[in-house]
Amino acid sequence: MKSDIVKTLVIRFLSSVLTLFLLVSFLFIIIRLSPGDPTDKYISAKLGSELSERIAEKFSLNQPMTEQYLSFVSNVFRGDMGVSYNFRLPVFEVIWEYFSFTLVFASISFILQMSLSIWLALYVIKKRKKWLNKFVTNSSLFIYSIPAFVLGVSLIYIFSVTFNLFPISGLRSLDYDDLSNLFQVLDKLHHLVLPLITLTAAGIALFYKYIKESMDDVLNQTFVINLRASGVHENIILRKHVIPNALRPLISVAGVELGILLGGALISEVIFSLPGMGRLTVDSIFSRDYPLVIGCVFTAGTVMILANFLADIIKLKIDKRLVKGILN
Amino acid sequence: MKSGLKIIHWIVFLWLLLVIIRYELIIDYLSLIFSYISLLFTDTSSALTILSFNFVDASLSTLLFLLIVPLTLYFGKRFRFITGMLNFSFGFLIMLGFIFLFAPIITNENPEFSKNLSVTKLLPPLSTVYEFELKSDIDNNLSDAEFFLKESEEVIKPPFNDNIILADSFRLSDKVIYYQKNEANEIEKESLISKTGIPVIKTKLYLIGTDEFGRDLFARLIFGTRISITVGLGAVILSFIIGIILGFIAGYRGGLLDVLLNRFAEIFLAFPVIYLVVLILALFGSSIFSVIIVLGISGWMSLFKIVKSEVLSIKKKDFFSTAELVGLSKIKLLSREILPVIIVPVLVNMVFLFSNVVLAEAALSYLGLGTGSSYPSWGSMISSGQEYITKAWWLIAFPGLGLILTLFTFNSSGRMLGKVLNPRLRK
Repeated sequence: MKSDIVKTLVIRFLSSVLTLFLLVSFLFIIIRLSPGDPTDKYISAKLGSELSERIAEKFSLNQPMTEQYLSFVSNVFRGDMGVSYNFRLPVFEVIWEYFSFTLVFASISFILQMSLSIWLALYVIKKRKKWLNKFVTNSSLFIYSIPAFVLGVSLIYIFSVTFNLFPISGLRSLDYDDLSNLFQVLDKLHHLVLPLITLTAAGIALFYKYIKESMDDVLNQTFVINLRASGVHENIILRKHVIPNALRPLISVAGVELGILLGGALISEVIFSLPGMGRLTVDSIFSRDYPLVIGCVFTAGTVMILANFLADIIKLKIDKRLVKGILN
Repeated sequence: MKSGLKIIHWIVFLWLLLVIIRYELIIDYLSLIFSYISLLFTDTSSALTILSFNFVDASLSTLLFLLIVPLTLYFGKRFRFITGMLNFSFGFLIMLGFIFLFAPIITNENPEFSKNLSVTKLLPPLSTVYEFELKSDIDNNLSDAEFFLKESEEVIKPPFNDNIILADSFRLSDKVIYYQKNEANEIEKESLISKTGIPVIKTKLYLIGTDEFGRDLFARLIFGTRISITVGLGAVILSFIIGIILGFIAGYRGGLLDVLLNRFAEIFLAFPVIYLVVLILALFGSSIFSVIIVLGISGWMSLFKIVKSEVLSIKKKDFFSTAELVGLSKIKLLSREILPVIIVPVLVNMVFLFSNVVLAEAALSYLGLGTGSSYPSWGSMISSGQEYITKAWWLIAFPGLGLILTLFTFNSSGRMLGKVLNPRLRK
């Protein structure tokens, strides 16, 4: 059994690496296929053909495609992704700075999503009111249908423009530097309230749908009826038997969702102009900062694949029967 | 919700509503079509050169509009769907269909028309302005084709028209004095189009207001709906084709190809697709076609997985091996033996896919990577409205509401379809 698990994990790990490798190759192909090349920024018609050829040589554009590809892949995997055009800093450093923000932002949102959705599902099941169930199901579907940017903009309109409760954008107030440490944290949190709501609302609705459906599934199974018949308290049935069994579909979805969140909550970061991975990616794409684009997309992909891998490990931990199922 | 109302009643109601509100416009369109047909006989070559997209669009819409009731009555017997009970989702779905098909009948305002910015800029919903129309120089020796063009511009409005003046208020004396934001101007009565000596002055109603360029938001919303639905349909159909074919190949052939395709699907699934889409659109430029293609390509994985697993199980069934032994070609095997069996789960998936694509298109337009500025689209309307958020809530509210309701409708009808399939959830 133990060796089975190890084998599964190793194969799963290798396939993740393979996926990452394919992603990098895909990036290379896309960048090379797109019109224009990296030397465009430096070559103009005024330069002689000799000079422009020398620049092309500097960028190793005259080497065969396979050579370029190999050096590209090895550089990316060694973490050497060049220097960003806009920041004039190594790509790795830029990304690290923005990623730390996204890490905090996404983690808070993720924890909120998980805990609130499970709590809501439990609440609805415990209450056993048909109208409540229907109401929550329909409203969660409705909330899920609100695009992040519509929600964000409406929140800005209601809370920032009309009632002036929260700041419109950014992460710091103007007098941020004069504040004491505690107030600096509070100030940041104050700025994060609306973005967090924007980012979290759809996730709660999504998780609620999955957890509720699988809880209903489990509740209909015979062992639950058996437990009830033997007089086990309803709370214990829910906590000890229903939730662990119902978590499985949630964990796979959660892995994907965590990956997306960590890869950068693109839309909400753009709306509230927060310094996160999502906005960095969009900005770098629009300003044609290719090294940074590659770095951002690579980071997002890595994080995503890592989150999926983690989710699989957790699933294995919960349910050992899944050893074979994960590889498919 | 047993209201007793059936879907067909709703269709007929919407149709009658349009007929009552827009009967003048429909008659105008019809007369335009007749004069075009007569022009085709008299002067074929110039008739073909002046054919414009808007005219074809409007005439097709009109013809379809006239045919829709006999068509539904005829096909109603075949599709049980039409006599089903009406609920909110289906009602909104049909309304979207009406907007998609009959946009030129619902409004004949040009979504790009903008004039007299000082008067029309950022008007709130339900505001009116006065519209004067100047007499144009009458040329008596117009050719038939030119005459037709002139006639058609009366009905199918062009984005620019120098002969129209919009004003806040006006006063009639021996001259017409009109006011544009406290600025008074006067024109001769004779220069206006008049009926029995009295100049014709219309009021123009902006149902849900105007945007920052004084364009009619209602017309933009209606035509924006069309763009969103077109992108959604196009991308979903593309995903359908790719998913079905790859899934069939992977499931039917198996072997190395299967493994490769699986890995490939895994990459696409294991990646925040919106990044790739943004990247590709930014690198290769975005137009309505590239948006459709990129979104279509990025959505085939779930269909691929469904089709593959279904094909694997169908492959072992007797009816399928019989069909194989009879010697049906691969295409026929796919279309006659497999598709009918798997169409329901595939359809459910496509409904969800559609709402994803509409959402993605709106998000892309919001980021400025969508279908371009030449078409109004929900996302771009919201993104340009965000700048005026303190002054004009209607710029965001109406496209936002349209988007939310559309996504909600598709999500909930997808869920309803899914419930029919999953007996464990049905109680």
